[in-house]
Amino acid sequence: MTAVPFSLRRVWLIACVTALEAARQRVFHLVLVLAMGLVLGAHAFREFNFGASELKFMADFGFGALTVFGSVLTIVATAQLFFGELEHRTALTLLAKPVWRAEFILGKIGGVMAVVTVFCALVTLLLLGTLYFRQQTLLAEHPELSESARALDPMAIIAVGVAHWLKFGVLAALTLLIASFARTSLYAVIVGFVMLLICHLHPLARLASARTDSWLLRGVAGMVSLIFPDFQLFDLSASIDSVGAAGAASLIRLVAYAGLYFSVLGSLAVYSFNRREL
Amino acid sequence: MNFRGARWLVVITGLGLTGALLRWLSAPLLLHRPAADRPDVRAETFAGAMGQGIALGIFGGFRPLVADFLWLQVQDRWEARDLGGTLGHLRLTTAVDPQPLAFWLNGARIIAYDMTEWRLAGLTRGDAMSESVGKRIEAEQARMALAWLREAERFHPGTPVLQIERANVQLNRLHDVAAAAASYRSAAELTDAPYYAARLHAELLRRLGRKAEAYAWLRKIHPKLPPNDAAAAAGLVLARLRGLEADLAIPPRQRYRAD
Amino acid sequence: MNGVAAIEARGLTKDFSFGLRGVNIRAVDQLSLRIEVGQIFGLLGPNGSGKSTTIKMALGLLESTQGSCRIFGVPSCEVRARCQVGYLPESPHFHRFLSGRELVAFYGRLCGLRGEELRRRVDEVIAGVGLEAAAGRRVGTYSRGMLQRIGVAQAIVHDPRLVILDEPMAGIDPVGVAEITALIQQLKARGKTIVLVAHELTQVEALCDRIAILDRGRLVVERDLGAEFTALEVSQLSAEHVAELQAWLEARGGVLTTRRVVRSRLEEFFSPRIPATRETPSP
Ligand SMILES: Nc1ncnc2c1ncn2[C@@H]1O[C@H](COP(=O)(O)OP(=O)(O)OP(=O)(O)O)[C@@H](O)[C@H]1O
Ligand SMILES: [Mg+2]
Repeated sequence: MTAVPFSLRRVWLIACVTALEAARQRVFHLVLVLAMGLVLGAHAFREFNFGASELKFMADFGFGALTVFGSVLTIVATAQLFFGELEHRTALTLLAKPVWRAEFILGKIGGVMAVVTVFCALVTLLLLGTLYFRQQTLLAEHPELSESARALDPMAIIAVGVAHWLKFGVLAALTLLIASFARTSLYAVIVGFVMLLICHLHPLARLASARTDSWLLRGVAGMVSLIFPDFQLFDLSASIDSVGAAGAASLIRLVAYAGLYFSVLGSLAVYSFNRREL
Repeated sequence: MNFRGARWLVVITGLGLTGALLRWLSAPLLLHRPAADRPDVRAETFAGAMGQGIALGIFGGFRPLVADFLWLQVQDRWEARDLGGTLGHLRLTTAVDPQPLAFWLNGARIIAYDMTEWRLAGLTRGDAMSESVGKRIEAEQARMALAWLREAERFHPGTPVLQIERANVQLNRLHDVAAAAASYRSAAELTDAPYYAARLHAELLRRLGRKAEAYAWLRKIHPKLPPNDAAAAAGLVLARLRGLEADLAIPPRQRYRAD
Repeated sequence: MNGVAAIEARGLTKDFSFGLRGVNIRAVDQLSLRIEVGQIFGLLGPNGSGKSTTIKMALGLLESTQGSCRIFGVPSCEVRARCQVGYLPESPHFHRFLSGRELVAFYGRLCGLRGEELRRRVDEVIAGVGLEAAAGRRVGTYSRGMLQRIGVAQAIVHDPRLVILDEPMAGIDPVGVAEITALIQQLKARGKTIVLVAHELTQVEALCDRIAILDRGRLVVERDLGAEFTALEVSQLSAEHVAELQAWLEARGGVLTTRRVVRSRLEEFFSPRIPATRETPSP
C-alpha cells in the first residue's frame, strides 16, 4: 500500500459537506434573518433626527448586529458541526476512510468559515445598500448638507466588515481548539463565549498591570494579554470619515495578525484532536 | 506525563509563544486604539465609564454603538442647556470612541459657541452685561475649546479640519488674527486640505498688513490650483494677486504671470 | 498459514478511564488474533465484551493502551492502513441532510473515486443493498434498517479488500437479512475478507468460516466452523435406543453432544385439549 499524502481535495469535500449541513440548519437562517432585520431596522433611527451623524448611527447599529449574531453563529456553528460528527458518530465512518485527522479539522473549519463568510458578506452588503439609499434621500432632501453627511466611504464600510470576518475566523479556530478538548458541545459553546469575553478584556488587562501593585493581579493580567488574541484590535470604528492610507496599513497588519492566529489555533486544534478517542 | 496533561502544556505554551511573537504586529495597531484602551491616556475617564455599565458594551465589541448612545446623551444635555452634563458626556463619548471626527468637531463648537452663550444668558441682568465679564467668559470657553482640539489632534494628527476649527476659534472668539493665520497655514500645508484654508491664510495676512507675505504665499499656491474646480477658485486668487500687486506697486515685469 | 494477514492483533489491550480519580475499565485484555485473507470471520461475545472496541483499535479510531494491530501488514495508526478497509459502525448515523446517493458518493470521493467510475460504483452498491428507490431521499428520513443498508453501501463503495461490519443485521427485516447475507457471500466469492460482528448465531453459522468469542475483553474461543461436523437429526428415539446409539458412537470416537426432547408445536399440543365451548349454546 502506498502512502496517502495530505489532500486538499478531501479537505474541500469535508468543508463542502460541513457548509451544506450548516446552511440547511434552521439556526443559521434565523440568525441571518435577525441580523438583516436589525440592519434594516436601523432605518428607525430616522425618527431621532440626528442630522449629519445619522449615517454613522445606522452603520454602527448594523455592525453591532453583525458582531452579536456573527459571534453567536461562529461559536454555535463550530461547536455544533464538530460535535455533530462526534455525537452522531459520523466521524467514525469518516475517519475510518483514508482521511487524515488534520484534513477533518481543516475541512470543518473551512465549512464553518464558508458559512461565516456568506453571513458577513450578506449583512455588510445589505448595510452598504441601506446606507447608500438613505444617503441619497438625505441629499435629495437637504442638498446643502454638510460634508460629513456626504462622506459615505464604501471602502470603510467594507473594511469594517472584513475586520469582523477576520475576528470570526480567529474565533472559529479558537472554538474548534476548545471543542477538541471538550466532551460536549454545550461545554464548548459556553467556554467559547467566555473566551470571547476574555479576548475583549485586553485593555482591562493592560490597565490592571499598569495600575496595580499586586503581584497576583499583574500575573493574571500578563497571562491574559499573552495567551489570548486581542479582539479589540478588530474593532475598527465604522467612523465613515477616518479611513485613509493609515487605515489600509492597519488593515494589512490586522490580516496578518488574524491569519497567524488562525494558523496557530488551527494547528493546535489538529494536534489536540490527533490523539482524541472517538 | 500523560497525553491530557501534555496537551494542555503544548496548547498553553503555543498560545503564549504566539502572543509574544505577535507583539510586534499588534503594538503598532495598539497605537491607533481608542483612549479607553490605553492606560496611559485618561484611565480615569475609562474607570468612570465602567461605573456606568458601559464596560460590558465595550468589552462585547460594541464600542461605536456605545459611543453613539453616549452622543445621544450629549444632545439631550445640550437641549437642556446643561453645561456640566454636556461637557461630561462629551468627554465620555470621545473616551469611549475617539475615532469619529464628528464628535470632536461638534464638541469644539459646542464648547466654544453654545456654552459661551449659555453662560452669558445665565448672568443676572444688571452688573453682568458689562463688557469685561462677557469677554472673559468668551476667552475662557475659547481656551477650553482649543484644549479640546489639542486632545483631538493626539488621536488624529495632521487632520486639516481640526486645524481649521482651531483657526476658527482663534479668529472668532479669541480675536487673535495672527494665531488664526498661522493655524490656517498649517492646515493648508497638509495633504487633503480644503482650498479655502490657503485663501484664508492670505486674507488674514492682508488684514494684518503683512501684504508682501500674503503676496508671496498666493504666488506660491496659485500654480497648483486646478483651473476648472470651483472650490479652488483660481480666478479669485488671481484677482487677489492683482490687487496685492497694485497695493505693493510691483513693477509690471516682476508681476505674476499665470499660464 | 503464511503471507500477510488481513488483521493481526498482538497483545491488544484497551483501558478506559473515567472522571478525576481515573476509574479504569479494561475493555480489551491482551487480545492476540490473526484474521486470514479471504475469510469470513465472526467476532462474537456478550454485550460489552469488547468487540466494537477491538474493531475501533484495528481501524486506528482508538489508541490501544498496549499491544499493536496491523491491517495487511500496515500499523493501524497510519492513514494508509485504511485504504483497503470498509467499515460499518454499530448503529450508524450519517449526515442527515445528504441524500443516500450523495452520501455514498461523498464517501466514495473521500476514497479517491471520481468521474464515471464513481457513478458506476455508487449505482452498483446502492442496488446491492436494495436502496434504489430511496436513494434520492435525505438520509435524515431513513428508517433504522435503511440506515444500516446505506451504511453497508458506503463501506464497500471503494471495493475494499477488507470489510468490517459491526452488527450489520441489527434492525433489518428478514428479506434484508437474506439480501445482506447474499451480499457478504458475494464479497467472499470475490476474494474479500469480511469481519462480522453479530449476535444472531444462526446467521454467524450460516456465513462464517472462522469465529472468535470474546468475554470481558479476553479471547475465550477461536476456531473454524467447517463442514467437518455433520449434524444428524433423528426423531422419536426411546431412552434405551439413545443409550445404544451413544455406546455405538463412542466405540467409533464420536460424541453425542446434544439430546433434545422435541415437543410438538404449541398449537398441535393445545388444540385437541381446548373444549369446543363456542359450539355449545348456553342453557
Ligand atoms: N468510549 C468509551 N468510554 C468508556 N468506556 C467504554 C467506551 N467504549 C466502550 N467502553 C466500555 O468498554 C467495554 C466494551 O465495550 P464494547 O462497545 O467494545 O462492547 P461490545 O462487545 O461491542 O458490546 P455490544 O455487543 O453491546 O456492542 C464496555 O464495558 C464499555 O462500557
Ligand atoms: Mg458493539
